[in-house]
Amino acid sequence: MIVAFGFLASMSLGCALGVVLSRNVIHSALFMSGSFLGIAGFFVMLNAPALAAFQVLIYVGAVTVVILFGIMFTQRPSVSSFRTIIQRQHMPGLVVAAGLAVFLSYIVSVQEWGGQTEPGQGPQETATFGENLLGVGGPEIFGLLFQVSAVLLMVSIVAAVVISRRKTDEGG
Amino acid sequence: MNQALPIEGYLVVGALMFAIGAWGALIRRNAVVVFMCIELMINGVVLTLVAFGDYLPQAGGVGASYAVLVIAIAAAEVAVGLAIVLAVFRSRRTVNVDEANLMKW
Amino acid sequence: MDQSVGGQLVIAAIPGIPALVFLVLALFGRYLGENAQFVAIFGVVGSLVFSATALVLVVGGGQPLDFAVNWIDLGEGGSFPIGVFVDGLAAVMLVVVCFVSLMVQLYSGAFMEGDRRFSWYYAVLNLFTASMLGLVLAPNFIQLYIFWELVGVCSYLLIGHWFEKPSAVAAAKKAFIVTRIGDAALFVAIIMFWRATGTTSFEGISQAAQAGFIGGGVLTAAVILVFVGAIGKSAQFPLHVWLPDAMEGPTPVSALIHAATMVAAGVFLVARTYDIFVQSPTAMLTVAYIGGFTAIMAATMAITKTDIKRVVAYSTVSQLGYMMLGLGVGAYTASIFHLYNHAFFKALLFLGAGSIIYAMNSYNLQNMGGLRRRMPVTFWTMVIAGLSLAGIFPLAGFWSKDLIVAEAFEAHFYVLYGMALLTVLLTAFYIFRAIFMAFAGEPRTEEAREATESPGIMTGPMVILAFLAVVSGWVGLPDGFLGLPVRDLFGEVVAPTAFAQEQLGIEPHGFDYLLAAVAVVMALGGIGLAYLLYVRRPELSGQLSRRFAGVHTFLEKGWYFDALYGATFVRGASALASAVRGFDGRVLGGLVGGVGRSIRWSGERMKPVQSGGVQNYALFILLSVLIIGVIVGAEALLIVVALIALFTIAAVAVGARL
Repeated sequence: MIVAFGFLASMSLGCALGVVLSRNVIHSALFMSGSFLGIAGFFVMLNAPALAAFQVLIYVGAVTVVILFGIMFTQRPSVSSFRTIIQRQHMPGLVVAAGLAVFLSYIVSVQEWGGQTEPGQGPQETATFGENLLGVGGPEIFGLLFQVSAVLLMVSIVAAVVISRRKTDEGG
Repeated sequence: MNQALPIEGYLVVGALMFAIGAWGALIRRNAVVVFMCIELMINGVVLTLVAFGDYLPQAGGVGASYAVLVIAIAAAEVAVGLAIVLAVFRSRRTVNVDEANLMKW
Repeated sequence: MDQSVGGQLVIAAIPGIPALVFLVLALFGRYLGENAQFVAIFGVVGSLVFSATALVLVVGGGQPLDFAVNWIDLGEGGSFPIGVFVDGLAAVMLVVVCFVSLMVQLYSGAFMEGDRRFSWYYAVLNLFTASMLGLVLAPNFIQLYIFWELVGVCSYLLIGHWFEKPSAVAAAKKAFIVTRIGDAALFVAIIMFWRATGTTSFEGISQAAQAGFIGGGVLTAAVILVFVGAIGKSAQFPLHVWLPDAMEGPTPVSALIHAATMVAAGVFLVARTYDIFVQSPTAMLTVAYIGGFTAIMAATMAITKTDIKRVVAYSTVSQLGYMMLGLGVGAYTASIFHLYNHAFFKALLFLGAGSIIYAMNSYNLQNMGGLRRRMPVTFWTMVIAGLSLAGIFPLAGFWSKDLIVAEAFEAHFYVLYGMALLTVLLTAFYIFRAIFMAFAGEPRTEEAREATESPGIMTGPMVILAFLAVVSGWVGLPDGFLGLPVRDLFGEVVAPTAFAQEQLGIEPHGFDYLLAAVAVVMALGGIGLAYLLYVRRPELSGQLSRRFAGVHTFLEKGWYFDALYGATFVRGASALASAVRGFDGRVLGGLVGGVGRSIRWSGERMKPVQSGGVQNYALFILLSVLIIGVIVGAEALLIVVALIALFTIAAVAVGARL
C-alpha cells in the first residue's frame, strides 16, 4: 500500500515538475500525460476504478492529443537555455508556490478530519457509481448536473470551432 | 500492509500538485505550457475531491461523481482555451505570454 | 400702548421708505442714472413728513409710542423683539435726521453731478438714512446694535466712495476699524446687561437697574463699556483719529454723517441709556471728563489746520465733546438741545465748505481768499453758521452751548467749566480763522479769482439751514427770558425721566445772565483774535507759528496720536497678520500641497505594477490569497510569523524584480 502510494506520488509529482521545467514543449506534454496516469493510479487506490478509466480516457487520451495539436499549430523550436522559457518572475513565483505548498500542506495535516476515517465510504460498485452519476440512486442533483454538463460541452465545442476558424481574407 | 493510509497523504499530494501547477502557470512563457500547468492544478484538486469522497462519511459518496463532471468540464475548457491560443497566434504570430501586455499602463 | 395699525405703519415707514429706496436704487440705479436723486428725495420727503407726524403725536399725546413684535424667541430670557420706541428724544432725532438728509440729498444733486457711481451714492445715502432712523427708533439694545453696525458700514462705503484714491480707501478702513473697537465694547456691554437682567430692552434694563438687580461694579463696568462704544462712534478721545481722515469722502457725506447724524449716535446712545448711566457716578464722571478733554483737545488741533474740511471735522469732535460733557454733568436737555442745533449749523458749515470746494476744486485754505465778493451766499451762510457755532447771542448755538457751559458751573464742576470756557474761545477763533482766510482779503490763487457762486440747488439748502441755524434755538428759550413770554418747548419734550432727575439731584434754576455774558465775551474775544491775526495783520500769524514751531507741529500733527497708534497697534497688527499669512501659506498650504504631491508621487511609483502581464497579476492574486489565508487560519504563532516573514521577503522580491 505504502509502496504503491509512494511510487504513484513520485510519478505524479515528478512528471509535474517535468512539465514545468522542460525546455521542449513536446516533452512537457508527454510529462503531463505521465502525471495524469499517476493520478489515475491514485483513483484506483481510492476505490474509484471507473473514475480511473475516465481519467485515462479523457485526459491522457483526449486532452493530451488536443494539446499536442495546439503545439503543432503554434510551432516552436526547442530551446537551449532556460531564459527563453522562464519568465522574469521565476523567483517570486517559486516563493509564492512554495509558500502555497507549505501552507496548504500544513493546513491539511493539522485539520481534524472527523476522527478515525476509513476508506471505502463511497460507492463500491461501479453500477452504484453509475446510478449516482445519473441521479437515480444517490443525490438527485446529479441528473441535472449531467444534462448541464452535456450542454456545456456542446457549447464549448461550438465556441472552439468559432474562435479558431480562419477568416476568409487571411492567408493560410 | 493492511493499515489504511491516512487521508492526509492524498491531500498533501494533491496540494503539492496544485502548488507545482501554480508555479508553472506563473513561470512559463509559452501559453500552451501554461495551459498544461492549469490542467495539473485541476488534477490536484480532483484528487483531493475523490480522496474526500472516499474517506469522509459525511461526503455521502459523491466525490467521484463530482470528479467525473469536473473532468468533463476541464476537457471542454481545454478545447476552448486552445482555440483562443490559436486565434491569438494567428494574429500575433507568437504564443509568448509576455508579449500580450496591451493592458500595460 | 395700543396703536392703530395705521399709526404703526406710519412709524415703521419712517425707516422703511429709505430702505426701500436703497433697494430700488441699488438694483435699478444703472438705468436711472442721474434721475436717482429724484427717487431718493421723494423718499426722504416722505420720511420727513412721517417723522413730523410722529413728533406731533408724541408731543401732543405726552406718552411715548411703543410697540414691538417678537423676532427671535429662544425661550425664557432669550426673546429679542424688534419694534419701535418713540419718545421726545427719538422724535426730535427723527426729524433732525430726515431734515438734514433731505438737505444733503438736494445738495448732492449738483455736487455729485457727473460722478461715475451717482445712483449708488444715493442708494447708500438712503441706506444710511434708513439705518440711522432705525437706530433712533430702537427699543432694545439688539436692534440698536444692528443699526449701529449698519451705519458704520454705510459710513465706510461712503467715505470710500471714490475708491480710486488710495487715501480714501485707507480712510474708510481706518474709520471702520477704529469704530469697531467701540462696537466690540458695546457688544460686551450688551451681553453683560443681558446676562444680568435677562432682557435687552432699554426700559427693562433700566428698571432692573433701579431695582438693584445689577451689582454696582457690574453696572459701572457695563455702562462704561457702553460709553466706549459711544466714544468710537462719536469720535471722542482716544478713538477720535478716524474722523479727520473721513473727510476723504464727498463733502455732503461729511455733512450728513460726520456732522449731524452718525456721530450723534454715540450721544444718542448715552442719552437713551441715561437711566442706567445716572446710577453710576463713576461712569458719569468718566463721560464728563472725556467729553471735556476731547473738546479742548480737538479745538487746539483745529487752529493749525489748512484743510477747510478738517477744521470743521475737528470742530465736530470738539462739539461732540461738549455734548458728552453736558450729559456727564447731568445737563441732559442741554446736551440734546446742542445736538439738535449742532446738526444744523455743522451741516451748513460742511455744505459751505463743499460749495467752496465745488467752485475752486481745492480745499486748501491757503489757496483761497477774497471769496466774499465772488460767492456771497456761501459767505453769509458760513458767517451765520460760524456765529452760531461760536455761541453768539441770539443765534441757536448760544442757547445750547452756553447752557452746557453754565450747567457745568452750576453743578460745581469748575475744572470742566474752565476747560469748556477755554474751548469756547478756541472754537470761535478757529472757525473765524477759517472764514477769514477763505473769504476775506485778496484772492491768493488763480482759482480763487475765478470762483463763482454755486448753483441754486446747492445754495438753496444752505440758505434753509442758515435760517435754521438762527432760529432753531428759539424753541428752547428758557422760561420767561428777559421778561418775554416764551416757553422752553424743547425742554418740555426732551427731558430725562423722573427717576434720572431724582438721581441727579439737580435743582432747577433760572437762567444765569452772568455766566451767559462771560461765555459770549469769550466768544467775541476769539473772533476778535482771529480778525486780528488773519485780516488786520496776516503776517503775524506766520510769525507766531514760527516762534512756537514745536507747539505748532504738535498741534498740527494731531498731538501725534496717529503716529502713536500707527507705531503701536497698526505695526503690531500688521506683524501679526504677516505672521499668520506666512504660516497659512507655508505650513498649511505646504501641508495640503504636500498631500497632493505625495499621492501623485506614490501613484507614479505604483504605476509599474500594471505591467500588463497576466502572470504578474496571477502572482499578485496568489500572494494575496496566501497572506489572507495565513492571517485567517493561523493556529501556531510561530508558523504564522515565519510565513509572514517569508512572504514579506517575497513581496520585496516581487517589488524588486518587477
